[in-house]
Amino acid sequence: MPPQVGSRRSLIVSLILTIAIAFGSLAATLSLGWGPKLGLDLAGGLSVVYKPTTHATTADLQEVVSILSNRVNGLGVSGAKVNLQGKDVVVSVPGVTDARNVLAIVGQTAQLLFRPVLCQAAVGTKLTGLGSKALPTCGASYLMSQANLAVTPANNVQGFTSNTPPPDPAFTNIASTPANQDLPQDTVLLPLLGKPGVRYVLGQSQLTGHSIKKALAQQDQAGAWVVNYTLTPSGSPLWDQVAQKNFHQLLAIELDGVVQSAPIIQPGQSTFTSFAGQGQISGSFTQASAQNLALAMNFGALPVRLQALNTRTVSPSLGHSALVAGLGAGLAGLALVLLYTILYYRALGLVIVLGLAVTAALLWAIISALGHTAFAPSFDLAGVTGLIVSIGITVDSYIVYFERLKDEARAGRSVRSSVDRGFRSAWRTVVAADTVSLLAAVLLYLIAVGDVRGFAFFLGLSTIMDVAITWYFTRPLVILLGRRGSASNSALSMAAGLHAGAQSE
Amino acid sequence: MSSETEEMTLDEGVTYGPFGRLYHGLTTVDFVGRRKIWFAISAVIIVIGLGSLAIRGFNLGIDFKGGSSWEVLAPNTSIANMTHAVQSAGLNNPSVAKLGSDTYQVTANLNSLSQTQLTAETTKVVDAMAKVAHVSNNQVSTSNVGPTWGGQITNRALEALIIFFIAVVAYISIRFEPKMAAAAFIAMVHDLLVTIGVFSIFGFQITPDTVIAILTILGYSLYDTVVVFDRVRDNAGGVLKGGDITYSEMVNLSMNQTLARSINTSMVAILPVLSVLLIGAYLLGATTLQNYGLALFVGLMSGAYSSIFIASPLLAWMKEREPRYQELAERVGARSGRRTLTASSAALQGAQTGSTNARPSRAGLSPGTIQARARKQKRR
Repeated sequence: MPPQVGSRRSLIVSLILTIAIAFGSLAATLSLGWGPKLGLDLAGGLSVVYKPTTHATTADLQEVVSILSNRVNGLGVSGAKVNLQGKDVVVSVPGVTDARNVLAIVGQTAQLLFRPVLCQAAVGTKLTGLGSKALPTCGASYLMSQANLAVTPANNVQGFTSNTPPPDPAFTNIASTPANQDLPQDTVLLPLLGKPGVRYVLGQSQLTGHSIKKALAQQDQAGAWVVNYTLTPSGSPLWDQVAQKNFHQLLAIELDGVVQSAPIIQPGQSTFTSFAGQGQISGSFTQASAQNLALAMNFGALPVRLQALNTRTVSPSLGHSALVAGLGAGLAGLALVLLYTILYYRALGLVIVLGLAVTAALLWAIISALGHTAFAPSFDLAGVTGLIVSIGITVDSYIVYFERLKDEARAGRSVRSSVDRGFRSAWRTVVAADTVSLLAAVLLYLIAVGDVRGFAFFLGLSTIMDVAITWYFTRPLVILLGRRGSASNSALSMAAGLHAGAQSE
Repeated sequence: MSSETEEMTLDEGVTYGPFGRLYHGLTTVDFVGRRKIWFAISAVIIVIGLGSLAIRGFNLGIDFKGGSSWEVLAPNTSIANMTHAVQSAGLNNPSVAKLGSDTYQVTANLNSLSQTQLTAETTKVVDAMAKVAHVSNNQVSTSNVGPTWGGQITNRALEALIIFFIAVVAYISIRFEPKMAAAAFIAMVHDLLVTIGVFSIFGFQITPDTVIAILTILGYSLYDTVVVFDRVRDNAGGVLKGGDITYSEMVNLSMNQTLARSINTSMVAILPVLSVLLIGAYLLGATTLQNYGLALFVGLMSGAYSSIFIASPLLAWMKEREPRYQELAERVGARSGRRTLTASSAALQGAQTGSTNARPSRAGLSPGTIQARARKQKRR
């Protein structure tokens, strides 16, 4: 269906609106100080691609992603990303200066540890690390000791009553133990999962996840979510020892530097009894939190064993020189293309220059804005290449249109009618060709791994932009110029770029 | 471009060289008739490439073989210094290369080492290189690749390729017609074969970036072909209905009509890629850019060639086998010899009768010499 070529008024509105949106959004992102989120090959950083060594279900892989995310985020570096690409888990941490240290922590196979809770740390806002200094000891009145807790079995909903010792202010400004210092034999300060601000001082590990045979999230008779677990034959007596030692006290279940849960041992009973190889953890679980705890108890660290397929670290200085190379190449390429089109199309070439300026402004604004969201890939060298390749596709739309205009002019039509007729046929061609280009970009994005996604994403983005700019910018501008050109005979009129074969010079 | 040697004349007496003819839509290259020449050129390149592939194989990068590489920015040293340093750090057969003006890259295969040995050795090499470059050791970039990584990238790429082929053939079959889809498909396979052949002949290193760039090129080559086919479809519904020219002649006309576009498009696509290759990769030493640039360059050249010299002649050849176009060719042949239109003359004939379905006038046209039937048309 031939698109309707609009009235003069709607053409002007479309043109002005497009220019306003493009440069307005560019000005907005610039004034906000937003820039593209640079990928690690431009900003420096670390990337690892892990592959499970054995068959892994999607749920397994998602569990791996969330555990690795915890580890990376625990390091306190910003912009870290862990995501699933096909069956690969890709970890990328841009801008880290000590990449190899990060690598050691991300790659370790962490264990599930059971530690006694000594006391709770008071909530602090300005946290500083301890360095090599040891944690202070909990004050006597803050200890989660049997005496301070005073757990008494009762007939209420919870099944027991207990005191709540206040958080210890000695720990207010101390940062949580970093993942690389979270050793089983040390006293550590760790956060509680899902309760921001709540942190516990934990004693030496007394048991590892190896003693747990199986854990299952289930609903009890009252419909509340609980985690039922069974112990291995060798783990059962160990567990009884630990439980007896911590009877009526809190026992923290720690995974990867995060306390998953810290239940009180047998608060509903007045004396300790053997667990006989199985137990139940209850509390204010939701279905999800119960399932997560069960998962953590089952798998200890990661649900599957991972193998590093590809490990890369890029130094910030090399990243910077790559950025300069990419931008330099892009700008030089752009300049060459503009020179070529101006030489070939003369006045019409200026339309291309203007069109590319609008496209570039809009693209930069979009890429900068996307840098503030989670789903867009970061802007890396592959993305830069994608954009450079798209210069060709963008300029081609103009070429298709202008060659059509020349055809029309050769047929002896006036510029005024050429611009309308020419656009209709050029538009169909542009849409057909861009569809193919977009198809390639989308497929690459969906199927490929690693850098390729960035390449495909930015190629696809600029292809969509090309269609939009052709319709909302090039069409009104050229048609308006054409109508004006038929009235005036200025050097900037369309005819200058359209020496058709049928006309004498 | 044009095979015509004699100068052409407009009735105003203006003469044009090859470029002028292109600019003014006066080219009359017989793309379809000389298809044997075009096909032969491609066949030779592909056969040599495949031969080289069978004998020499590919120059595979560490992503495919597995291995380790290190890079550091070191303005004041030499390859010899760097080699000595990393050998002292325990690397047996390091290859040391200088990328751009002052980036050094060391490559070695450490796959026989265990995980802990690998980590220890990596650290030693990093420290040695940092010392030579007089920088701290976090300024050294590292890359460790297991032997299966590249294979996985390739498998993904092949998956993408197959799905892309199916999607594209379906799209063109629906939007245009199945024979165009077939011709475009063969042109794409042609580009694929030429590109991998060239990479093998010249021993260019294959990296995952290369594989991806090749995929992109196939998309681009197709993009180019689609623009030409769009014009063929237009003309099939227009000038061909006049019954005065054969399908092949119509394809020739379409090709000449879009020739300026094809060349310009290839120029604007190749210029930035060339800039990536020369400025980004060789002057500034960004290896990733080099990998992309090289594959894109080879592929774009092949893509530009195939959309002009392979896809359309192939389409004409397939269509001429259809009975209705065979009949058309006989009818046209019985009336007069071969006949060639230029973009200009076709446009004029269309305009003359006010409709693209019009029967073009044939007076004064003979093979080889062209007169644009320019009449002093209404000037604005």
